Amino acid sequence: MQRLALALMVVMAFVLAVPSLNAQGLPPKPAKLTMAVVAGGETTGLKAILPIWEKEMGVKVELVEFPYPTLYEKLVTAFQANVATYDLLIADDPWMPKFGSEGWLTPLDTEFGYKRDADIFPVVYDLGTWPPPRGPVPPTEKGKARHLYAITLVGNVEFFMYRKDLVSEPKTWSDVVANAKKVHDPNKPFYGFVIRGAKGNPVISEFTPVLLSYGARIFDDNWKVVLNSKAAVDALRFFTKDLKQYAPPGVVNYDAAERAREVATGRAAQGFIWPAEITSIVENPSVSKVVGKMGYTLAPAGPGGKRGPLIGNWLLAIPKAAKNKRWAYEFILWATSAKVQKPYTLGGGIPFRKSVLTDAALNQQFRFLRAMAASLAAPAEWRPRTSEWSAVETIFGTHVNAALAGIESPEDAIAKAAAEIQKHMQEAGYYK
Amino acid sequence: MRTTAVLDADERAVRRATHAARLRRATPYLLMLAPIVLLLALVVYPMVYNVNLSLRSYRTGEFVGLHNFLRVFDDALFIESIKATAVYIVLAVSIEVLLGLGLALFIHRTVTSGLLRSLFYVLMILPMVTPPVAAGVIARLMYTPNYGIINYLLHAVGAIQRDIEWLSTGPTAMFSVLSVDIWQWTPFVFLVAFAGLQAVPQDILEAAKSDGASSWNLFRYIEFPYLRSLLLLVLVFRVTDTLRVFDHVLVLTGGGPGSTTEFLSVYLYRVAFKFFNLSYAAAISFYVLIIASVVFTLLQRLLVTEAVM
Repeated sequence: MQRLALALMVVMAFVLAVPSLNAQGLPPKPAKLTMAVVAGGETTGLKAILPIWEKEMGVKVELVEFPYPTLYEKLVTAFQANVATYDLLIADDPWMPKFGSEGWLTPLDTEFGYKRDADIFPVVYDLGTWPPPRGPVPPTEKGKARHLYAITLVGNVEFFMYRKDLVSEPKTWSDVVANAKKVHDPNKPFYGFVIRGAKGNPVISEFTPVLLSYGARIFDDNWKVVLNSKAAVDALRFFTKDLKQYAPPGVVNYDAAERAREVATGRAAQGFIWPAEITSIVENPSVSKVVGKMGYTLAPAGPGGKRGPLIGNWLLAIPKAAKNKRWAYEFILWATSAKVQKPYTLGGGIPFRKSVLTDAALNQQFRFLRAMAASLAAPAEWRPRTSEWSAVETIFGTHVNAALAGIESPEDAIAKAAAEIQKHMQEAGYYK
Repeated sequence: MRTTAVLDADERAVRRATHAARLRRATPYLLMLAPIVLLLALVVYPMVYNVNLSLRSYRTGEFVGLHNFLRVFDDALFIESIKATAVYIVLAVSIEVLLGLGLALFIHRTVTSGLLRSLFYVLMILPMVTPPVAAGVIARLMYTPNYGIINYLLHAVGAIQRDIEWLSTGPTAMFSVLSVDIWQWTPFVFLVAFAGLQAVPQDILEAAKSDGASSWNLFRYIEFPYLRSLLLLVLVFRVTDTLRVFDHVLVLTGGGPGSTTEFLSVYLYRVAFKFFNLSYAAAISFYVLIIASVVFTLLQRLLVTEAVM
């Protein structure tokens, strides 16, 4: 009898000790999960799977949408105030260094015991890990324990599109120029190559694959600025002269929407593209005249045969101050699972799992998935992993834009950008 | 017993009177308390916070003295943004004042119908109530080289043979951002000047006309003196507004091409929210304050001179 009473007491103690956990080890369902997301095509797939999650789990997910630049500012403000405004967030991968070094996110490995999955490209895990597992590590981050803080939801990677009904698949930049020369006719008007040239992030996203394919870099492995090189000047000259001569007028101010519009309206033959622009514009029959006419391939190779596909994943993460961390983690596991990635893709989402990107049936419907898989496996290049990237991109983006507009020569633009970046990094404490 | 009751009543009356007197004396201070608290919270505290921020390193938070203030002299982008802002303010404000004043005189002298005048008033208010971001988006579409209405019209009248890339060169980008400001704020000058012209005594104008005064002389010697103080006020408002111009510039050019339309406010935004160097941004904001103060002091002197005259 005494033993029975003791056993009952142990059970009672256990029940009392974990009053908030249910049978699956989950705390009681919250009224809702609040998630900060970017407004635009990147969240189309997410919106498509939310009803399934809500039906399966009985927890509502409220999306708070912000335009791209505003989202970053809102997140930083919320983190600095340490308020539990959001349970989940979706972040562009270049933001990871800032969020990681400031310790604003919840580690998924130590906090929840996340296990890596072979179906996910290693580059995806590298993106969500801080400090970075390869390449230069910022001076303040050296010696810090490495953790996984985020998992990709939108497997964005920049690759190349071309009108397969008019030109052949370009493998090198010379092929791109030859194709452009063949079809360029401003009187129609039809342009050989369309550039996303607006100042700042747009033009840097566009120019970086060219820069990398020419073998140039912004930093070496010790954060020394090595941008001022012949390779970088050659790359910028090629971008602002050889490619621009086949571009529509006004590309100096073009962002992604204008670029996709030129292609979708049948006025441009080639250009870079991000997957979200394909599903929402280029291959969307309700707005595009070129559905089925586009081919997709890896970013073209430079003179030395190097390719530089640029990665720009959107990552799911949990703020450190979040109220419903366990349920937020449950959502991340669910949304990134192979089971959900298929309806996610069919609903207009950009997948990232190998099995989904190489799925034959899905490739019939979304012909760009193989190019995405090849780009991610390349592996795609990432923006330098520093919390100063926003400043570096702004400085570099101003001078590349000025060169594209003809205000600065390629030599001047590269030299000025290198000097200003060096000065900024000095001030940011990267050099002794 | 009765005497005690009378004494109590007297004492209560005295207390009430004292209390009322105290309340009367305290009332002005109590009334002032709310604005003082608001002023401390919304002006003094942010100002002190800003001073503190500007004297520290944005990275480590260490005290760095005047480093952030001295840095501007070695900052080519800051100097460029000052130049761009000066060009923008001079052009925008002078064109708006000339156009608004001219339009007000024209309407005042040629339109006599009250209904038509009211119609002009309403039409002039419309640009002013348009959000600057919306104005920027519309202008961006209008100035697009391929399908924008401006190039289309210029082609239609044979003024151009090939598309003008409005937002791609320094001078045309400056013109484009100026045009939005001028469209939006010339009506403000018009409305103030038009209201001022109503106050000019008709008998003086009639007398001058019968003495053979020309239209220019009527304006120069009779109408302008009445408008002068109003126009100086308009200048104060417009200089303030153009100094902090931001929304439509960001939408239209983003400060480009290069940094040709990167005005002080846009540069400040870049330093604060792209570089996240809030300390340097705080120092720059003090320079903006100094520039604004100098401009306003000059304008105020003009106003005082006018009042003495």
